[in-house]
Amino acid sequence: MGSVSLHPRHVGRTVLALSLALAAWTGVAAAHTGGLSGATRDPLAVPTWLFLLTGGGVVGVSFLLASFVTDRRLVAAVHDWGRRLPSPGRALRILARVVAVGLLALTVAVGYLGPATGVRNLAVLVVWVAWWGGYVASTYLFGNTWPALSPFRAVAESLPSLDRPYPDRLGAWPSVAGLLLLVWVEVVTPLADDPRLLATVLVIYTTVTLAGTVVVGVDDWFDNVDPLAHAFRLYGRLAPVGGDDGRLHLRLPGGALPDTALRGRDDVAFVVTLLFVTTYDGFVATGLWASVVRAVAGAGVPPLAVYFGAYLGGAGLFYLAYRVASRVGRRRAETYLSTDYLARRFAPALLPIAAGYHLAHNLGSVFVLAPTLAAVGAAPLSPPASPPQLAGLPSWFGGLELAFVLLGHLLAVWVAHATAYDLFPSRLQAVRSQYGVTAVMVGYTMLSLWIVAEPYVTPPFIAS
Amino acid sequence: MTDPTPTPDPNVDTHVPPDATAHVCDRCGRPFVYETHLALHRGLDHADDLTAEEREAFEAAHEEEVADLRRFRLLALAALVILYFGFLMTYAVVT
Repeated sequence: MGSVSLHPRHVGRTVLALSLALAAWTGVAAAHTGGLSGATRDPLAVPTWLFLLTGGGVVGVSFLLASFVTDRRLVAAVHDWGRRLPSPGRALRILARVVAVGLLALTVAVGYLGPATGVRNLAVLVVWVAWWGGYVASTYLFGNTWPALSPFRAVAESLPSLDRPYPDRLGAWPSVAGLLLLVWVEVVTPLADDPRLLATVLVIYTTVTLAGTVVVGVDDWFDNVDPLAHAFRLYGRLAPVGGDDGRLHLRLPGGALPDTALRGRDDVAFVVTLLFVTTYDGFVATGLWASVVRAVAGAGVPPLAVYFGAYLGGAGLFYLAYRVASRVGRRRAETYLSTDYLARRFAPALLPIAAGYHLAHNLGSVFVLAPTLAAVGAAPLSPPASPPQLAGLPSWFGGLELAFVLLGHLLAVWVAHATAYDLFPSRLQAVRSQYGVTAVMVGYTMLSLWIVAEPYVTPPFIAS
Repeated sequence: MTDPTPTPDPNVDTHVPPDATAHVCDRCGRPFVYETHLALHRGLDHADDLTAEEREAFEAAHEEEVADLRRFRLLALAALVILYFGFLMTYAVVT
């Protein structure tokens, strides 16, 4: 730092003022939007355009506030903070794997043999409540335990391998395709209601995974092809517990993200697709989409083709938007760092947003259906006729969900800020380099809030 | 619990247009658009072995940066005020 001096008192004041201001702003926003999630029910609520503008404004303001933190050492200190953790023993790891494989076998068996109603079948509850709602949240709230717990990996590692070389030019693109395929199946089929179908999908997934690992080897498969492993690995970078050189570390949530450079465009596309699939899932349940798909299908196009076209087109548009944002950032920062490199460095900042939405979407149903899971789990083959579930969630829970979304966005803005400080020698350059990615975040927030504010319309023509 | 793949990239990926003259760091080879950026980079990333001249250049660039930052802060503050009162009035009118 040469002769540049640090003024701790000054910094302290700035940080205090900043956190107060942030708290005030988030308080205002949460209060407004909290009352607004039911905008369609309450005729006195704020109009949608103002709701969207407020959401976008909060993200923009948090960017401006973050730009006031100009002390390099402070920015670096926040994400360098860390502690060592003891590693779990070998016996514990083996036990966890045995349990995981047993659970997978039980899930598939009950999926076929148990009752045909979704909410009474343990397979549906284990996959959607325990795994998708609860476990997935643990990968970004705690740490990526999937490599240790994945039953697929456990079985794959005990199989012989042909060790054919993985074609490097494919990169991680197969995982992008895999993610798109999995979510496509989830959107167009009643995967959450039909246990037989769910069990079949599980069997297909297991077969494909095991065949793939036998051909190209376990590590290459889970690093490049398997979408679940890829998603959890990225979420794990956001989590407070992480592993480097085989040891466990405790760090601040998101603390590892500014140091994360994704490997290439394939990884960037994966992160963007992770955000896109959430949006698509919500978008097909809006009135706008219902009328569009009815009109186009009325013109003779097969409805499923309309869904699929919008799906791939939307994913492409999302990627393109992020790409343009990286180019804008590069031009505004006046740097010779390549657009590709900037895209790879700033994409991890989008992960907290994806995590925030995941938590907001799923936490409620995890709580409501936890008693169901316990009751059905006690007698998987003869569950109670109407298993118990939580009667309802307190009214403040909606506010909590919005707080998760907001928290994800604030963390994203901060990660982008720290990344920019890591990349550029001039702090003004660092601020300007974030214009593109901030615009993307503002746009994404407004789009997502619009989807939340729209009344739910059952997607026409598909069975989900 | 390992997360092996996304590690910090040791090779910063750069692209200099053919018709541009870049200011290249003689220690790590990273090119910069402006000489002040190079001076700042040297002072931040190679602080241990600066010549007196380079240190002077760094300090000058740093002072300039601080002045620019101050100007930016004023603009950012103005933007915050406009946003705040903009929303305040909009909410007052609409609700």
